[in-house]
Amino acid sequence: MIMNLTFYNDEATWLHRLDPRTKICGVLLIFVICLCFNHPLFIVGILAGVLAIFTTAKSLKVLWKLRFLLVLLFVFSVVLWPFFIKGKTILLEWHGLEVSRESLLYGLAMGLRLTTFVSAGLLLLATTKNEEITNGLIRLGIPYPVAFALATAIRLAPTFADAGATIVQAQVSRGLDLDSKNIFSRFKRFAPLSIPIFISAMRYTNFLAMALESKGFRPDAPRTSYYEPQTTGRDWLVLGSLMLILAACLYLRLSLHWGIIISGRL
Amino acid sequence: MTSSIVFDHLSFSYQNTTAPALQDISGEMSRGSFTMVMGHSGAGKSTLCCAINGLVPRFLRGDYAGRVMAEGMEAGKNSVPDMARAVGIVLQDFEAQLFSTNVELEMAFGLENQCLPRTAMEERIHTYLRVVGLEELLRRDTATLSGGQKQRLAIGSVLAMETPVLVMDEPTTDIDPEGRHQILSLIRRLRTQDRTLVVTDLDAEAAVQADQIWLLRDGQLLAKGTPAETLTDSSLIESCGVRPLATIALFQAMNWPGQPLTVDAAMAEIENQGLLRPSRPEGRAISALPPGKVILETRNLSYRYPAGSTNALSDIDLTIHEGDFVAMLGQNGSGKTTLAKHFNGLLKPTAGDMFLRGRPVNNYRRDELAREVGYVFQNPDHQIFAPTVGEEVSFGPRILGIDRKTLERNIAEALDATGLSGFEDKNPFLLNRGERQRVAVASILAVKPAVIILDEPTTGLDYVHQLDTMEMLKRLNQLGHTIIVITHAMWIAEAYARRSILMKEGRILLDGPTSEVFSDETMLAAASLAPSDLIRLRNRLGLAAMTLTDMVKELRGDNIVIPFPNQR
Repeated sequence: MIMNLTFYNDEATWLHRLDPRTKICGVLLIFVICLCFNHPLFIVGILAGVLAIFTTAKSLKVLWKLRFLLVLLFVFSVVLWPFFIKGKTILLEWHGLEVSRESLLYGLAMGLRLTTFVSAGLLLLATTKNEEITNGLIRLGIPYPVAFALATAIRLAPTFADAGATIVQAQVSRGLDLDSKNIFSRFKRFAPLSIPIFISAMRYTNFLAMALESKGFRPDAPRTSYYEPQTTGRDWLVLGSLMLILAACLYLRLSLHWGIIISGRL
Repeated sequence: MTSSIVFDHLSFSYQNTTAPALQDISGEMSRGSFTMVMGHSGAGKSTLCCAINGLVPRFLRGDYAGRVMAEGMEAGKNSVPDMARAVGIVLQDFEAQLFSTNVELEMAFGLENQCLPRTAMEERIHTYLRVVGLEELLRRDTATLSGGQKQRLAIGSVLAMETPVLVMDEPTTDIDPEGRHQILSLIRRLRTQDRTLVVTDLDAEAAVQADQIWLLRDGQLLAKGTPAETLTDSSLIESCGVRPLATIALFQAMNWPGQPLTVDAAMAEIENQGLLRPSRPEGRAISALPPGKVILETRNLSYRYPAGSTNALSDIDLTIHEGDFVAMLGQNGSGKTTLAKHFNGLLKPTAGDMFLRGRPVNNYRRDELAREVGYVFQNPDHQIFAPTVGEEVSFGPRILGIDRKTLERNIAEALDATGLSGFEDKNPFLLNRGERQRVAVASILAVKPAVIILDEPTTGLDYVHQLDTMEMLKRLNQLGHTIIVITHAMWIAEAYARRSILMKEGRILLDGPTSEVFSDETMLAAASLAPSDLIRLRNRLGLAAMTLTDMVKELRGDNIVIPFPNQR
């Protein structure tokens, strides 16, 4: 195996034991909480909270696996946002492009928000088995085929990434230069990579469909579930706390106007 | 005996093809019997398997005539999920059918579809994990299992559904010898369970324990009978692309009476009938090849995967000379591929050094490396992308900027060496696996690298294609290319490699002339490997020869030449 992109981290923490429905709703609540503020300090607070949950779920290493992506998202956001936002305190002006203190801070906030979004999503994937996510989605009223397709997509991402990495190595061995800066050579290397990836993905999915049907699976038929999630008091406690936090955040933002760098924006 | 599966004049051809995949197959498999289906690649083995549970024609479409009954259900008339009540099938690519997060859930998947209540599922899961010997691994992530374990899980998850018929399509392909051994002994145990077993395999050694053997050739059922009836006819099974049993082949070549199917039976015959002259043959000539220059060298090389917690390779010291023919052997995960990927700089050592012609591999540019060390990946489909064979093969030399004239000559030579002359304008995607494998080799050859590394070049090929591939590598080696083959097929190392390197847990266990390495069965066992039947016979008879022809010569007292490479 060249890459391991499975996010599920098999532990037995409180978070792993929560009902998948609670976790799905919880992550959505965290998303909304993130949207309450656009001041970086406030979002740092939310991110710190998410990281604290990661620690109690013994899953920080999942975050570490994606460190490059997270840093990339953050940096892009921080660098790009300031050019699209106007603020009062101008720090830099150059040929009509201006960067202000507010826009800089807003960019920082957006970078942090994106990081928090991705982290919260990973929290769900790190502590919930694919089958549990499917089960949770169904019990939340999502139609079975949709839930199954979604879970399958999550399941297949690492497989395809793995095949992709092998294909890159195979073509690099033949002399394909992936480091070239030249636009034309970049275009030329598109086919040697994309065609094998596409074909192996097609083969794989077709094969998988055969394997699933051969085991008696049909998307529209009733089936039982080996892991039956149990909703306990803890689930209600988690949801209740998150709702309270959301309410508090809304109050801070809407009534006290806290955590705002640029008003009128999410 | 009641019949469990009935083929009644079944013919099938896939959509958009002209040649029929199966032609007028008729026959019965009785309840509780074990049938081994054998034949060359493209003979129709997989199609036959898929016809039993209705994947043919419900999923894989085409012209279908005749019918197949499994446990009273007609395969063509019922949907595949319906047929799943009677027929469980383990498809050829076992890795791709493992779908769930952990072992337990993989086992549960089929049972969930059967709408079993949780307690019943739990009971079945435990029962059948014990049958396949995975009960300790209940919560393990399926991606972390070894090849043999994955295959046993794939089988176990189908077994748990308790279907009266179990079909397994090449369950031992792509697995290391240890895993293969596990699967074969599992099949032996399943025989006591009163299920109808249908297994396809390329290896005659695996077929000895079957009740019935069906031999397919070009979609036709050529012969069926007991192992004693079919396997003893070496020319018949060879004509079906199956490597004949070493014991039978040796006894036939020596004109010895008796048709032993196993090494033990052969040894018993030899002893009982006093077939072997008491004196050991003398006068073996041993030729020492002059050593070539050192081309690849590792010094104290260790490697750890970025996400890994232990070293994948530890302290590897290895020298490979120009003109060597090396086999790298070991279980899955022993580090063979990881080491080989250092040879062309795909991986960089975490500690220690990797030299190519005395210069650190890191100091080479990518295109320089590609010219020196070619690497053929295990699955040809991971690199084929061009619409024609000619374009595919010219891709490497073109991006390396080789001039037009040389390029055309190289391509012609590469196609010639791989037996693909005349294929220039064919679409590589429409070729069979053996041909696609050769396209992949040709596309590396066209660059004319000094060293050619091949990762499992014979996986998925039948005996005839395996022979073709290996004979081609032998020719290339004679032309001066250094050949390094990573393989699970012991007979390939035995018959072709001058030098064998045994790896275990990221270290080199044994490194030496193949004839010596394969004499040391204890060491091989330590690396979870076992020699082929032919070499086991050779070792028991105390011979030096590594091929059947040489063994016959040696037994007759003729001189033979065992090339020993000089190294270190």
